Amino acid sequence: MGFDGMLTSGKMGMNKRKSERTSTGTKTTPAERNIPPVLQIDDLSIHTRADSSGKRLVRNLNLTIQPGEMVALIGESGSGKSVTASAVTGLLPAPLSMSGGRILFQGRDTATLTSPERRAMLGKEISVVFQDYAGSFTPFIKIGKQLIEMIRRHMGWNKTTARVLATQALEQVELAAERVMDSYLFQLSGGQQQRVAIAAALMLEPDLLIADEPTTALDTLTGETILQLIDSLRHKTKCAVLFISHDLHHVIKRADRIAVMYGGEIVESGPTDVLVREARHPYTRFLLQSRMDLADVPARLQSIPGEPGAVSACGCPFALRCPVRIARCDSEAVPEMMVSDGHTARCHLIGEAQGDLGAAEITRTS
Amino acid sequence: MLGLIGSRLLQMIVVGLFLTFATFVLMKLAPGDPVKTILNIDDVAVTQAEQEAVRQSLGLDQPLVVQYTEWFWRVVRLDLGESYITHRPVADLIESKLGATMTVTLGGLTVMLLIAVPLGILSAVYQNRWVDQLSRLFSLIGVSLPSFWLGLVLIYWFAYQWRLLPSMGNGGLMHLILPSVTLGIAMAGVYTRLLRSGLIKSLAEPYVRAARARGLGEVRVIIVHALREGVLPVVTMFGMSLGSLLGGSVVVEMLFAWPGLGKMVVDAIIQRDYPVIQGYVLCTGMLVVLINLGVDLTVRMLDPRLRWRS
Repeated sequence: MGFDGMLTSGKMGMNKRKSERTSTGTKTTPAERNIPPVLQIDDLSIHTRADSSGKRLVRNLNLTIQPGEMVALIGESGSGKSVTASAVTGLLPAPLSMSGGRILFQGRDTATLTSPERRAMLGKEISVVFQDYAGSFTPFIKIGKQLIEMIRRHMGWNKTTARVLATQALEQVELAAERVMDSYLFQLSGGQQQRVAIAAALMLEPDLLIADEPTTALDTLTGETILQLIDSLRHKTKCAVLFISHDLHHVIKRADRIAVMYGGEIVESGPTDVLVREARHPYTRFLLQSRMDLADVPARLQSIPGEPGAVSACGCPFALRCPVRIARCDSEAVPEMMVSDGHTARCHLIGEAQGDLGAAEITRTS
Repeated sequence: MLGLIGSRLLQMIVVGLFLTFATFVLMKLAPGDPVKTILNIDDVAVTQAEQEAVRQSLGLDQPLVVQYTEWFWRVVRLDLGESYITHRPVADLIESKLGATMTVTLGGLTVMLLIAVPLGILSAVYQNRWVDQLSRLFSLIGVSLPSFWLGLVLIYWFAYQWRLLPSMGNGGLMHLILPSVTLGIAMAGVYTRLLRSGLIKSLAEPYVRAARARGLGEVRVIIVHALREGVLPVVTMFGMSLGSLLGGSVVVEMLFAWPGLGKMVVDAIIQRDYPVIQGYVLCTGMLVVLINLGVDLTVRMLDPRLRWRS
């Protein structure tokens, strides 16, 4: 049975594919078993205007997510993380547009989808959880009604059946289902609102969940429970996750792979343990250094030099803030270079000893 | 909720007192004398003594405050008095005209909604495209056209040249069309723009993006999810229009010889028929307060956030 055939055959096909996925041994990776990736982004560029004349927000981005995998996309505000996610869902805000590259979801180029096809895919095959939980549902309509609306839209079930699934979904996220169904969104606390959003996102067992900074607007403890929830539900539903965050700490604990963005480019990506151990890009190294460790509190917290968000217009985007840059960094674009299997970085100095980055911190503060 | 209704009823009493007292004083200050109208003084020779007798019988020789107090106590006993001219009870008079005014009001609002709702939605969805530009032009024309001119043009073509519709009086649905269209077109421009801007604002809300991300169809996103908030300013405005229309749209009622409140009160003012004017002012004042209460309740119904805040 062809992969596309399974996709179109709906729920049955999906379950079949999932059981197939679980039954396979854990030794081989999905790529080795020749299962196509859930999401494959090739050479994606996004500009603020359709004709590539505007500001470049994302440049030549490559990212692949295998079934069931959790990939973290991290970077500071304005580095292009959320814009990339919007491009995947096809919901780029009005003036922004994809100016190059392609996005394959389950092997299908999303640019070829018609608007109704794309809508049929959203919520069922690709789900999104936003940072702004207060805006995740329409404030004038009771939550139950909106969950049922979503189920009926995708599954075509009657109200009673849809209600059963909606109730189950809310119980999955440990909410008092009946009460929440009959509430408006603003009657719940922030953590509860985000739980409802997660329930809705995973209710129809999508293949890909895009979690766009789901914990940024929550307090640390609530954020942590939300992350645990996403983690346990993704294992339960075998759903791949694109986790967007600026918190490296959260990401290292949970993600299978990490992609670090700076100035619209993925500057480094690789399996989490590899990246933590042997990061090659100065920016990634700075991020790793700026982590706090309770066992070993440094006298002075390391910070990244330069102005946050300063992006060099040509050459390496991090050149303006990089303490080890050489002349080439300001002028020559950096190609994606393979460090080891699955670990890539974009840095001219990849093969060379970069020395101690901390020296720059001292000169900056003196 | 009950607090709102209570405070509005209180407001109704205050508004009623203030309105009627103000009109009472202004009427007396204005030149003209009802006695002369009553006695037909221009056509018949009337002595000073006869005038005084009529004035005395109507209580018009009393001080202003006494006259107002007397009128007020009658109102408390639900007696609005009777017309100086026709001697019919004012309450009956208003009741007989209110129906006609309500009919043309509803007609006008229906025409307005039929134009403004689709046009407003289309111009918000296709912002700055040709539909939007066209509706902008239409709105500008609609707002700028004086309704007496538009009414005359409609009468000229539809009633006189093509003889499709009656131009005068109230005799069923056909009679309703021209006055309703005249009123509706005049109002539609403002409402189209209001709905457009409201909807553009709500379409940019994060919950609309979330509804799209759940895969809902665009029509459903607009009609079910975005329109609710976009329609709120329209409802508020609707209350104001309804209030002023129920007071009688004088121009349209005069133009189409429509037997409504507007025509009644203009006649009463010309004839210095004080009780009719007073009764009219009191009734429309009450209506406006009641309509605003209705608007507030509707807005609360549409936006549950307001319901829970209080």
